[in-house]
Amino acid sequence: MMFFLKLIQSIGVGALSISVGLLFMGIGRKITARIHRRYGPPAIQNFIDVFKLFSKNSISHGFAYDLGIIAGTSALLAAVVFLPVGQINLFPANSSLIMILYLMTMAYLGMAMGVSSSGNPNATIGISRALTMMMGYKVPFAAVIFSVYIFARTGSLTNIIAAQSGGLLNWNMIRLPFGFIAAEIALQGMLGEKPFDMAIAPAEIASGPMVEMSGKYLGFGMLQHAVGIFLETGIMVNLFMGGAPNVWIFVIKQFELFFIALLVNAILPRFRVEEGVSFMWKIPLLLGVIQALIVVL
Amino acid sequence: MSEWKELADYFRGRSMWMLHYCTGCGAIELPPTMTSRWDMERFGVVPMATPRQADILLITGYLSIKSLKRVVYTYEQMSAPKWVLGFGSCTINGGIYWDSYSVIKRLDKYIPVDLYIAGCMPRPEAILDSFVKLRELIKKGEAKGYEKYVKNFEWYKANQDKVFRRTTPVLKKPEEVTKSA
Amino acid sequence: MNSNLIWLVFTPLIGSAIAAILYNYKFLDRLITFSTFAITLFLVFGTHVGQTYSMNLNFMGRMIPLSWNVTHLSIFMLYISIVFGTILTFYSLMDRSRMKGFLLLLILAANNWIFTTNDMVGFFFAWELMGWASIVSVLGGRKERKSRHAALYYALMSIGGSYSMFFGLFTLWRLTGSFSISSNLAYLSSIVGVHPWWVLGIVSLFFVTFMIKAGIFPFHTWVPMAYAYAPDTFTPFLSAVMSKYGIYGMLLFLPISLMEKGMPTVFGLPWVNYIFVWIGVITAVLGTVLAFFQDDVKKLFAYSSLSNLGYIVAAISLFTSVGVTAGIYHAFNHLLFKGALFITLAAVISRSGTSKLSEMGGLWKKMPVTFFTFFIGIASAAGIPPFNGFGSKWLIYQSMIKQHLLFATILLFLASTGAFLYLFKAFHSIFLGQLSHNYDNVKEVPVIGQIVEYLLMFAMIFFGIQPGYILRPVGLIVKSVGLNPLAVMGNGYVTGMFSNVDMPLIGWSLAISFVFGFILFFISAKHKYVSQEDNYTAGQIPQDWGLTPETYQFSWKFYEPMEKLFAPFYRIKIDGFFRGLGDWTRITGSAVKQVFVGNAQIYTLFAVVGLIILVIAGWVA
Ligand code: SF4
Repeated sequence: MMFFLKLIQSIGVGALSISVGLLFMGIGRKITARIHRRYGPPAIQNFIDVFKLFSKNSISHGFAYDLGIIAGTSALLAAVVFLPVGQINLFPANSSLIMILYLMTMAYLGMAMGVSSSGNPNATIGISRALTMMMGYKVPFAAVIFSVYIFARTGSLTNIIAAQSGGLLNWNMIRLPFGFIAAEIALQGMLGEKPFDMAIAPAEIASGPMVEMSGKYLGFGMLQHAVGIFLETGIMVNLFMGGAPNVWIFVIKQFELFFIALLVNAILPRFRVEEGVSFMWKIPLLLGVIQALIVVL
Repeated sequence: MSEWKELADYFRGRSMWMLHYCTGCGAIELPPTMTSRWDMERFGVVPMATPRQADILLITGYLSIKSLKRVVYTYEQMSAPKWVLGFGSCTINGGIYWDSYSVIKRLDKYIPVDLYIAGCMPRPEAILDSFVKLRELIKKGEAKGYEKYVKNFEWYKANQDKVFRRTTPVLKKPEEVTKSA
Repeated sequence: MNSNLIWLVFTPLIGSAIAAILYNYKFLDRLITFSTFAITLFLVFGTHVGQTYSMNLNFMGRMIPLSWNVTHLSIFMLYISIVFGTILTFYSLMDRSRMKGFLLLLILAANNWIFTTNDMVGFFFAWELMGWASIVSVLGGRKERKSRHAALYYALMSIGGSYSMFFGLFTLWRLTGSFSISSNLAYLSSIVGVHPWWVLGIVSLFFVTFMIKAGIFPFHTWVPMAYAYAPDTFTPFLSAVMSKYGIYGMLLFLPISLMEKGMPTVFGLPWVNYIFVWIGVITAVLGTVLAFFQDDVKKLFAYSSLSNLGYIVAAISLFTSVGVTAGIYHAFNHLLFKGALFITLAAVISRSGTSKLSEMGGLWKKMPVTFFTFFIGIASAAGIPPFNGFGSKWLIYQSMIKQHLLFATILLFLASTGAFLYLFKAFHSIFLGQLSHNYDNVKEVPVIGQIVEYLLMFAMIFFGIQPGYILRPVGLIVKSVGLNPLAVMGNGYVTGMFSNVDMPLIGWSLAISFVFGFILFFISAKHKYVSQEDNYTAGQIPQDWGLTPETYQFSWKFYEPMEKLFAPFYRIKIDGFFRGLGDWTRITGSAVKQVFVGNAQIYTLFAVVGLIILVIAGWVA
């Protein structure tokens, strides 16, 4: 009985993450359009896109291709279950931050496996860029994790949220300002928004990992991106904005973070890969280290 | 089942991803169509990078025989519900290239075109209008070019081969020429 | 029946003798090797913790006391090494590489002796036996000349290590008059407060040996060569089991707690330990960064082993309960996944005939079982839950964070993310991408190989989801070295300092979400399979263009941005010293080569010289 209850709730969280992620993407397109002084597509455009993609025929390059691309979405959905979302915290005893981060890696590995098994070099170049960039943003984020762990004396998101209870001034965002800024920049890289979107450069490498994806495969890719947005902004909300009393406030907080990322995305051009990585290893890392030193000393 | 099809067509009409084949001069009208002035994204039309991802193939004007070969290859790489937009009078009857030896006259003979946009070159308004029109056609189930292509595959192939034969080099390969000399 | 400890050493020796006689019949050699491993495994079932045995060996009129003592650590190490060895030798039944079974059995004898002995003479002798047997085993790789060079280099390093250990051993003997490891260790920890420098000196003599054997920076230079040019079936043993001897040795000496004995501390650690943490971290980062740019797949994974051993050393040097647990746990995990990876590599190399990443590609269609084993292997190595390899990495981070080691944490994260990079590079270049027409006739490995691969896959998933089976014995070891073991809440839990991880839950979550993924996949619109030639080529028609699978495969300059990023470091030659060291050893090596022309003679002579030194030392003392 307990099992089925949790199962249903988990499915609910998964559905929530997909729909919130898709909605964010749609709103994101709308906001970007407004910044460009355009009208923009409707906010639910991404739902329409996903439905269309799943109803469209597609080509595949074999079983590894199918499996990899399914793994991309499924592993992220498996990770999102462990994220405390407002009052919904399904597995409070099992929400270690590092565990969630590593579980997310499974999705990237699956995706990388899928698209590379198509045999298109553009896809692999995109993946190699994405991985290089990952090496860039994981390093400042490690410094941030370090400071948060030491500061909150705990590693599970549930307890990190609990440690921030009691108003705005207790939020890690205020308590650990440098760490927050570092994590914000790392988030920009994690989301793959400009200036760190070299992995999916459409003009140079034909949209990189997506080059051979058609129909439902692209649909899975879009779902993965949606869940990824939900998960990454969700982690940030829990780490720095003290979680949320309920789901709506949680989503609003997530949107604030996503909004900042969008604005940056809309106005900046793209880094070259090595420039992006060395940028990550300079300013955000420096901020993260300063924060960690402040916490330790 | 038919309701499901209708629903799918509804979504397809509202999210048309476009691959633009920009060798014709009309391609210059696309940037303003995409950007702030006319903003085609509000119809759910976004440019895509590869044929795998795209729903619409936009042929922007005249096609030399060599580029027709690429267009056919690209078209065949696209996945099933797919549509072709012929853009400009060159795709209809050759336009000002009507007497050129290297340019095809009627695109329809080689790949099925679902909608033509007349004009030399058509303005962005006309392009946007064509998207709306295509949406209606899809909804009514009249834009079935891809099924026509499958059904009349031999005919299309024969037409294509007739012109492709002209692309085989007349002269020998340069190294062979030098060898014989 | 305590004498079965002796049989642990003698059974492999007897097996080795028989196998050596039958060496010309390759299959018999392998079969005897396998069955000896299996018999030894049965003998290990009969051993239990606390068993001791001693005897006196009459050596030139002098009584040399030999003694055996089974501790928690030794029994753990025995089990993991022999079980892995059994699997490996089973695999080698069908294998065509020139691994010599009887040498492996000699190593097994030494292995059992090292892990159970309680006297330094036996330890030293077994260490030498293991060293020499492995050196000779490195010979006979696919590239004759290179493997000879690698073996020579390895031999030189080993000799250095042996001398170092020899000095340490005799200094200890002069001080205490006993060869017993346990009493010597007790003596050392009793005087560490009075003469910390003395103790440090002696211990570092031993540590140099252990670091050489484990391939820890700055003694890592032999590792890539020896791993890459050893016979393909021997490399798994070299990487999975033999690198752990150094770790075992370090664990023997680490309990000499410097902490309470007035050593100056850094971040709550004695500075010696602090230095060792950094040596570990540097090894981890160095291995990772060098692994990016390798084209030889075995070299790539050799650097990866280096990096993982760096993790282990960094963790156990902390000598906290989490640190030691994490270190031993990671040693086990590394044994499992790196063993599996090297076995799949042996399979791939035996089928494709090359170890160059730039020449392979697309093999997954041809070797699906190997492909999945490799996939789970790299998922484990990258530390993805619920496969094994996650728990230990997770604990290592926690132990680092707990000690407030900021830069070490950041660098280990860097190394871990980097691991993902080079693992994916190998994965892509071997199995994904375009399949060259050269490999059209490549087949999956024979049934025996497939059985082994399924077994390894199962083990990687099982020990990932049920870490308790490993964490319990590790907890006993941690207790036996005098630390508080971590609580084990159940078979499925990894309990850390800051939180717990429930592995079966993650497994369930993944399984269920995969089910949903597949349902969505199958109810949505149809897909059709296309060949690898039907690919996006920007509208170009591949045939017209002269495109071949080899030219449409991306495996050259895989991480070029990284190369650009690290270019300044290459320019200032941060490793100039080690290159100098390498040059020096190469020069010495070639000098030695000039003196002794024949191959076998060199090694026998080295052995004889070593024996003479032993004898002289005995006389002097
Ligand atoms: S129709 Fe006119 S504008 Fe378009 S390609 Fe032909 S000549 Fe150019």
